[in-house]
Amino acid sequence: MKNSLIRISFLIIIVIGMLSLTNKFTKNAQLSDFQELSVQDVLIQLGAEKPLHYLEKTNKDSVTMGYEIVHFGQLKDKSNKRVSKFFVCTDCHNQVKEVEDLSNETASERLKYGMKNDLPFLPASTFYGQYNKIHWYNGDYANKYGDLVIPTRDSLENAIQLCAVQCSQGRELEKWELRSILHYYKSIEIKMSDLILTRDESEKISNNLGRNAPKLVELLKSKYNQINDATFGDLNPSEPKAYSPNLENGKYIYEKGCLHCHGMGKDITNFEFDSDKLTFSFLESKLEKHNHFTVPYIVRKGTYAVSGHKQYMPQYPLQKMNNAQLFDLINYIKAESEK
Amino acid sequence: MIRNIVILIVIFGGVNAFAQTKIWDTFAGTRVLSNHSTEMLYKHNLEFRIEHRFGDIAGSNGGIQNFFGFDNAADIRFAFEYGATTNFDIGIGRNKGINQQTEVLDGFAKYRFMQQEVDGKHLSMTFVSSVALPYRKASTDSSSTAYYQNFLERLIFTNQLLISRKMNDRLSLQVNVGYHHRNLVAYNDVNGMFFSGGVARLRVTESFGLITEYNHVWNRVSGLGQKNPLSFGIELLTGGHNFTLVLTNARGINENLFLSNTSSDWLKGQWRFGFSINRRFKL
Repeated sequence: MKNSLIRISFLIIIVIGMLSLTNKFTKNAQLSDFQELSVQDVLIQLGAEKPLHYLEKTNKDSVTMGYEIVHFGQLKDKSNKRVSKFFVCTDCHNQVKEVEDLSNETASERLKYGMKNDLPFLPASTFYGQYNKIHWYNGDYANKYGDLVIPTRDSLENAIQLCAVQCSQGRELEKWELRSILHYYKSIEIKMSDLILTRDESEKISNNLGRNAPKLVELLKSKYNQINDATFGDLNPSEPKAYSPNLENGKYIYEKGCLHCHGMGKDITNFEFDSDKLTFSFLESKLEKHNHFTVPYIVRKGTYAVSGHKQYMPQYPLQKMNNAQLFDLINYIKAESEK
Repeated sequence: MIRNIVILIVIFGGVNAFAQTKIWDTFAGTRVLSNHSTEMLYKHNLEFRIEHRFGDIAGSNGGIQNFFGFDNAADIRFAFEYGATTNFDIGIGRNKGINQQTEVLDGFAKYRFMQQEVDGKHLSMTFVSSVALPYRKASTDSSSTAYYQNFLERLIFTNQLLISRKMNDRLSLQVNVGYHHRNLVAYNDVNGMFFSGGVARLRVTESFGLITEYNHVWNRVSGLGQKNPLSFGIELLTGGHNFTLVLTNARGINENLFLSNTSSDWLKGQWRFGFSINRRFKL
């Protein structure tokens, strides 16, 4: 009898142990699945409203078509007309994450992450996570584009159209092209794994999926920037206080920013140059001129479309290149021209 | 012979199976001064060119009376040139023409089959084939080189191989060898001419450079007064436009005209001012 009790007790302990292990594995599996969820879907499961551009799921063919339009300006089989004869989206927009922490998209974080990951240093926002933003053409873009930004502020579709027609000086997108780009955007939307959440926050959110949880919606939204703001800097900026030049940063901005479009053989702009001494001497000699060949002027003002020369350069808002970085670029040009 | 040429191309051109960074801007445009350079237009780019050569600056036809040649136009060319692919250009132009060959249409096809690379190929090589058609009314003077009896007699051809190297940020060199053929020539002249030439470009600043260009015809018939064209020029680059200012003894602008029809002598003040302007458009 005694032996039987011992056996039964032992069996119960084994069963309880196995059950607890199974539960642990299940929890881990749930957590890993949770990490793969898109932030948009999680928000909706927590009771947030669906955005206007919401897509239930991606269509593989549409994603491919959207990818091709974004990267090549038209489908690879050339069955549609090029959106713009001047630019493709990737001339100004990266397609990957640009910062470690998506809630902190400052210019210095962009530069740090961009240098670490060898990313182009571009004037416009990355397409990665554009699907998750709530407003577009924000801040000072109204000063550049006027009333054209009004319909784009709350509509990703309208923002894409303005970019196609105005920024790239191309044509209006057809409906299927726009849908394809949206599907492509959805394919590079923010995932839960991209956000920096504590274990406790993750568990809270995952345990409340399917329930109306406005506080958790707010918490989740605080983990990534809701908009890409834009502040246009001074055309004749003064050196920031306590500034000390960082030529390594300047080199990165020159090579991954300026040369991304102006590099020889790119055929993006009429003004092509490289990293030779003649170029640096030329850029250095124009520093005080305050025209389109002056680095601070062109970085902060860009150019505008004019008759006979429709393509223009977008400016870098302070959120994309701050004044310290601009001075790093200027100092790098000066240092190279004096070599 | 051909085998030796191939070996030379392999040695100097270099062979590298891996993708290398290409060298650009060996010359500022598709032309050096009058002749072609190894440079090509970008794909789907259209270039409009206006080229002009004035009258003699000095000598019996120059001086203050015709304002150092500015009152006369030796040759004028308007042309459209198009980058069909990255390495294949085509073009068509209209020339005022010189001597007996006036009212000239020209066309060319140009193919770059090698481009200099940073750590790979050492040279750029381009082949140009061009044709010119003087469409003026045929002369009734049987001794004239415009005494055309049929259409084919009007045609002039030039085929040449251009080989260039960007030596450093400032200096670029180019040599060219080719064959020039006129279907109708004077009774004591030769139809086919073998020529070679050399070009040097020195960039003084990012937007300003000095250029010289010379072509030598090897089997020119002596006694006809023909001269080899020698030109000096400067380039002014503005980003979008290239301005080239030229001093040359050649009256003709197109290679089908200046190779065989240059009779002006530098030493007699028979040199002239000229310019080229181009504008590129994306199609």
